[in-house]
Amino acid sequence: MLRINLLLLLAVLASALYLVQTQYASRRLFTELDQAVTKGHQLETERERLQVEQRAQSAPGRIEQLAREQGLQAVTPAITAYVPDNRGVGEH
Amino acid sequence: MRSVTYGTSPLLAHKTQLWRSRLVMMLVACGFLGLAGRAAYVQLIGNDFFLRQGEVRFARTIELAANRGRILDRNGLILASSVPAASIWAIPEDIDIDDAEIAAKLPQLAKLMDMPLAQLRQRLDSDKSFVWLKRQLDWDVGLQIKALGVKGIHQTREYKRQYPEGEAVAHVVGFTNVEDKGQEGMELAFEKDLAGQAGSRRVIKDRLGRVVEGVGEEIPPIDGRDIQLSIDSKIQFFAYQKIKEQVIAHKALGGSVVVMDAHTGELLALANYPSFDPSNRKRLTGEQLRNRAITDVFEPGSTVKPITVALGLETGKFKPGTLIDTTPGRVTVTGSTISDTHNYGVLTVEGVIQKSSNVGVTKISQQLTAQQMWETFSAVGYGQRPQLAFPGAASGRLRPYKSWRPIEQATMSYGYGLSASLLQMARSYTVFSNDGRVIPASILKLEQPPAGVPIFSVKTANAVRQMLALATGPGGTGQRAQTQGYSVGGKSGTARKQVGKGYAVGKYRAWFTGLAPIEEPRLIVAVMVDEPSNGTFYGGTVAAPVFSTVVQQSLRVLGVTPDMAVQPQIVANPIEESL
Repeated sequence: MLRINLLLLLAVLASALYLVQTQYASRRLFTELDQAVTKGHQLETERERLQVEQRAQSAPGRIEQLAREQGLQAVTPAITAYVPDNRGVGEH
Repeated sequence: MRSVTYGTSPLLAHKTQLWRSRLVMMLVACGFLGLAGRAAYVQLIGNDFFLRQGEVRFARTIELAANRGRILDRNGLILASSVPAASIWAIPEDIDIDDAEIAAKLPQLAKLMDMPLAQLRQRLDSDKSFVWLKRQLDWDVGLQIKALGVKGIHQTREYKRQYPEGEAVAHVVGFTNVEDKGQEGMELAFEKDLAGQAGSRRVIKDRLGRVVEGVGEEIPPIDGRDIQLSIDSKIQFFAYQKIKEQVIAHKALGGSVVVMDAHTGELLALANYPSFDPSNRKRLTGEQLRNRAITDVFEPGSTVKPITVALGLETGKFKPGTLIDTTPGRVTVTGSTISDTHNYGVLTVEGVIQKSSNVGVTKISQQLTAQQMWETFSAVGYGQRPQLAFPGAASGRLRPYKSWRPIEQATMSYGYGLSASLLQMARSYTVFSNDGRVIPASILKLEQPPAGVPIFSVKTANAVRQMLALATGPGGTGQRAQTQGYSVGGKSGTARKQVGKGYAVGKYRAWFTGLAPIEEPRLIVAVMVDEPSNGTFYGGTVAAPVFSTVVQQSLRVLGVTPDMAVQPQIVANPIEESL
């Protein structure tokens, strides 16, 4: 009887220690996950910011201004060669 | 129990009384019992309460902000998007501005925040516990401020709306306030869809504020939906640039351009001048803010004539070749005289449109009933609120036909006595590009074209298109609407401005509404210039040139092959000859 009790006591102690250990690991991993998620979010907003930046750099107003500075001229039908679209998938 | 004998010390030789040791033992036992009872209470009976109390002390609810949706053009290009921004705040009571180290950094900080140094010092020189210094600075500037490391200066991450296209599309997109709520335009119209829903999560934070564990369930944020407009940003830019140039050149009060897809009713461009920069909205006036093309209504003048003529053809009383005598360039209706600028003599119905004869149109309208005219005008959208997802879309005015007097019926046939917005004018011309069916205007990109409501027969629509082509041809009033490579058709209008009860002297609105290419229309373009006052004020000279360039650029952007022969031109750069 006593031996079984001792065995059970040891088992309880072991399980308790293991619980502490897992809890610790779980928190550590959770923090890591949380940091990764935050990082992901940051990268996402950074991407968005860069996309907007890219769009602002290629906005028609800016292109027009740069073209003017370089002395480029606007396209007119008189200086355009039209070739038929043979792919047959409608207008492009 | 026996008494205990302690050693041999006489002091200890004293015999402890039995009741005393019993009492001590009882007290210790009571102590343990109390502890056990308390433990049982905490762990079993009051467990919920204590768990909750514990949680309150270390669990926190974090709000998960939803991203505001983007506004895109028809090709998916960004017209508005939220980007992170740094908002700078301070705890003035923590800052000693006389401290040498801090004082040395302040000028740099003021410069980064684009704020006078004196103002910054004044804000910091108080014992408040919180003060905003500058909200929504660029993220990069925020990082530089962080790098300065001034004690007591903090920053919070906020979102700022960016409008890469700037003033060209400002009236359509609108803008948000500092709290990221829509205030104007599409930002306001689609506030619900764009805003999304914030979520939340419960977490346990440690002493240093780090999240160590999530508790309970997490409500994920629902990001705002992206809104895709029918606007094509290139066409929009050209339209804006052209109307801006023309308004400035003709010293006008303002102007608008509407470019509409002839078959789907989608608005490819909707530009107004004066405009504003949506990211810098200081000192804005209503003049700049108003989306004139949608919210302002005017008497459209001659641009209504094609609708009246189409109705005349539809009733069968007129054919394109029917002769109408407009001599002597005047006609009297119940005592009032309607006149043309010249005596055109005998005109065909086609000629009436080509020359824009008020007398001719009046004579056509005299063969129509007021009810017929009212029904047609209403059907093409005059006096009806456009079903457009845009705040403040005006319905214009078209009085019930029962109250029309004969002279009013006559003036309405050529565009006086009723009012419409430029958008309504553009939309009414869809009957000519869709075989007689009128289609609703849309500011959102459509998956498939709407069916439309039949108003005129195919024959009538084609006939009127030919007349519109004539009006821009030799001898027409809108010759300057012609453009290289593409056939066009359209009607100019010059309407006197109503001021108070009468018409103002020397104040006009120049209109032009037309289609291109005329055989298979792809676009409807409507142009309005308000009070041109640099000599000329006719629709055919002020508005038509804008139509011409906008059509040219738009059809090229859409990749439409020219339907008219073009004289090829050789471009050569002059090269300096060597001697």
